[in-house]
Amino acid sequence: MSSTSQKHKDFVAEPMGEKPVMALAGIGEVLGKRLEDKGFDKAYVVLGQFLVLKKDEELFRDWLKDTCSANVKQQGDCYGCLKEWCDAFL
Amino acid sequence: MSLFVEDPAHFSKSRLKSDLVAHNVALPHTKSRKEVYVDLHLKHIVQKNAGDFSSDDEDQEQDLADKEEEEDAKILDPNTLTDDDLKAALLEHGVKAGPIVASTRALYENKLRRLQQSEGQGHVNGVEKGSEAAKEETAEQSNQAQQGSSKNGDFVYPQCFLLSSRLRVHATRKREPSPKRNLGNVIKSSEQSRPPRSQIPGGITKASPVDQRSGLGSGFPSGPQSVLSNGGSSISSQPFSITLMVERRKSLSSSTDTERDLNGSNVQEHWSRSNRPDKPIVDMCTVKNQSPYYTPKESPYKQKMKPSQEPVKDTFKEMFSNMESSPTGMCATRRRPIKGAAGRPVQYAYPDTPTSPITLQRRKVERRLVPIHIQILVFIIVACLLYIIYVCVEDNSFSPFVALLDSLDPGSESEEGLMLQAEIQDTAVFSGQE
Repeated sequence: MSSTSQKHKDFVAEPMGEKPVMALAGIGEVLGKRLEDKGFDKAYVVLGQFLVLKKDEELFRDWLKDTCSANVKQQGDCYGCLKEWCDAFL
Repeated sequence: MSLFVEDPAHFSKSRLKSDLVAHNVALPHTKSRKEVYVDLHLKHIVQKNAGDFSSDDEDQEQDLADKEEEEDAKILDPNTLTDDDLKAALLEHGVKAGPIVASTRALYENKLRRLQQSEGQGHVNGVEKGSEAAKEETAEQSNQAQQGSSKNGDFVYPQCFLLSSRLRVHATRKREPSPKRNLGNVIKSSEQSRPPRSQIPGGITKASPVDQRSGLGSGFPSGPQSVLSNGGSSISSQPFSITLMVERRKSLSSSTDTERDLNGSNVQEHWSRSNRPDKPIVDMCTVKNQSPYYTPKESPYKQKMKPSQEPVKDTFKEMFSNMESSPTGMCATRRRPIKGAAGRPVQYAYPDTPTSPITLQRRKVERRLVPIHIQILVFIIVACLLYIIYVCVEDNSFSPFVALLDSLDPGSESEEGLMLQAEIQDTAVFSGQE
């Protein structure tokens, strides 16, 4: 990811608070809906999963793929944005 | 390998476990008792090896099938593992798992499965080596490297040839102390079919490996081997390890697999060529045996011959243990990397010469130089001389030179010259008075 999207910048710019899961980069309406159906309604729940996988990229990508069948780009966007957020705020 | 002398029931649990893992057998539950391990050991390892009486091809297929089955069983495992077991299994594969909870468990199971599959592929690729190969290390690796490097394998033959006879020696010797237990174990050691030696006289065994491998063997001159196999049965005191034997045996078996593909004529050619390395050794033995030390009786003759044979072979092997032998018999070692050239790290430090050439040169020059105190002395002398000259010149003010000039051409003297001379003389007198 050479350039980051506006969504990514917005998400990484501030604490996530109570943002919905669709605020995550790479997670659009469709994926957000799928995630909400599985109980991941807020961004911090996804963050929890991300953290419980020890920020491991491979495992997190697999999880996203399994959970909401995200494609590689979506996986990468979501991972990158959460990783950067963690580096900034954790 | 103690595997061949011990009963599996005497093994420790961890030992059993490692054996099972090495044989690619799915491990039972962690908390299961030792009997379970022993049963598994008997079932999978002992039976597999003891059942190897049939022909080579069947064994290979059977092995392959076994492994595939075990692979499947192992791959299905992660679902039934507990969280802790899953974590331990991942750790075995070198993966440090995080917390295994409901939301992460599936991921870790997948990961373990993938790891197992990738490992299983490695196993299938290396079926020749087998899982046992993991236990044996150095010597065998070199053997396998040889086999991998060149497939024609005509240089592998002499090894197999010698070793097979040697192996038989070990087997028979080993059986002497504890006959009933070792029978099975020895068979176990040979993964491929090899009739038990006790039932077959040496004259027949000598030909059997030839038949198996090349399919001809009738026209094959089997002189040295027959001697070896006969002699081996009576020897009992030699410091050879069983592990060595098994390694050799395995290299033998894997080499035969590659060679089975060759057609008969090729094999024959290899045989005849590969016989050559044996002959000098045997000749040497016979020459030795003609010395008056040995009794003319038949059996001691052969007994004596065997020990003389073994060391020769060993030194040969030691000498070339880390080289790959080539079909031409020439050996080449890798060139040493140039010291630190082109930014490469220094891999080989040349032994330091006592002094560098520059210092040597300097010493040579120093030897020619005069000592420093003489130098100072000379300097002082020269300085004094210069000072004296300076003083003289200042005091006499050209008078000696002028006088010299005058004395050179007295004929062309004029009055003025005389006047000048007088004047000079006056000044000289004057200065002398001063």
